[in-house]
Amino acid sequence: MSNCTVSVNHAVPAAVLAQSRRTAKPVFSLCRLQPLLVSLMVLLTLASCAARTVNVEGSYPRPNIPAIPLVLGVYYGEGLTDFVYTELTDSGEEEYLVTSGDTHEVLFNTVLPAMFERVVVLDSLEAAAAQGVDAVFIPRINEFQLGMPQKTRLDSYEVWVRYNMRLTGVDGSYIADWVMTAYGKATASSFSTAERGINDAAVAALRDLASNFSLGFTGVPDVNDWLQRRSSQ
Amino acid sequence: MITKARFLMPSAWLRPMTLLGMLAVFQACTTTTIDEFRQGATGISSEDSVVILGRTPVSPNDADPSQFVECVGERMASGDNAINVIPEQQFVDAMFPWFEPRMAPKRNEDLQLMMAQPMVTDIMSGLGVRYIVWLDGQTERTNEMGQLSCGLGTGGGGCVGFVTWEDDSSFEARVWDISSATEVGTISADAVGQTYIPAIVIPIPLIARVEANACSSLADQLKQFVQGD
Repeated sequence: MSNCTVSVNHAVPAAVLAQSRRTAKPVFSLCRLQPLLVSLMVLLTLASCAARTVNVEGSYPRPNIPAIPLVLGVYYGEGLTDFVYTELTDSGEEEYLVTSGDTHEVLFNTVLPAMFERVVVLDSLEAAAAQGVDAVFIPRINEFQLGMPQKTRLDSYEVWVRYNMRLTGVDGSYIADWVMTAYGKATASSFSTAERGINDAAVAALRDLASNFSLGFTGVPDVNDWLQRRSSQ
Repeated sequence: MITKARFLMPSAWLRPMTLLGMLAVFQACTTTTIDEFRQGATGISSEDSVVILGRTPVSPNDADPSQFVECVGERMASGDNAINVIPEQQFVDAMFPWFEPRMAPKRNEDLQLMMAQPMVTDIMSGLGVRYIVWLDGQTERTNEMGQLSCGLGTGGGGCVGFVTWEDDSSFEARVWDISSATEVGTISADAVGQTYIPAIVIPIPLIARVEANACSSLADQLKQFVQGD
């Protein structure tokens, strides 16, 4: 976007001016049309330069796993809801803006209630104590990468996401902090637009995260230690 | 003079073209080899279903056999002695997250561990799944040779040249019996075929349908295998 410069010259060509002195009528119509045409050209040029936004949308199945007897608070904060990935062209211009905050909320709101006895979505971390939760879960996106077919020379759109997952006590004390990665791939030839391909690759990556998270949660060493300490109390 | 030449030209090149075409049709056929390795007894009732699953790619270099999986499923669910086949996506969604690419059982021991989960066995029973067939493999193109040039002028257009390549489809199907949580057999299909595209004015594509032949042969063999014939 920043490299896309548009120069507009409103000067009327000399030949047109000369003609306007001789015959008033046709030049009058040209003069009336010129600003319109210029505006149209500017709009078209700007539209071709603008980055396209992909707001990832998808649905996710509820996991079939036994629920952990815990009341979990979840906080969707900075680094997740407001995360926007910007894909640049080879010349450094913005090509795609990928937003996935809403779909991450949809995903966790489907997965967490199946994993825990009760789940409370917190408006702020301070609200945890008042809600009577056992622990607070805070997911964040650390890194997002996009593989486009024209750059990777593969017949697929690919999405890699690296997350930071944090589990704290009600008072904000440390329970666990771990990194998770997710990968999704969508065959390029199946899609008419790049936006659809990016969306489906991102949804596949989110499903990968959901499966890994739901089956691997109790296997995270610090989470496992905490659960064992709780059960022995 | 021109009219005469136009009239004579087709018959002049049709004869060698026909010969070339017949020769190419003969050579464009596909050779398919099916190997079956049985490890246990099989049988299926009309209430039972089969699920065909592909090893979904978990890294950029992994092959995606989803189209082949669909082809085998459709073939098994049609024709004589058709079998109930649950669509892959429907099964994977119903079983979520146990059959997601990174979580799916890869060995017999993994299957037994998974089947120890009451929720998993309940869903499997509800769906009526008797066999899970894992498909893995890909089609590779090799020995690409030749050149084809096409042109368009005021007097018309046409192509001249000859291109050829070899396709090699190699797929393996591992059959798991859910009732005993064991692997009951492996069937492999290897199909090889040479494609030719000669062009004298008009290109005549003589495509070797390698993957389609591997699909139909493997599906027919799988159908017989699960029925216990």
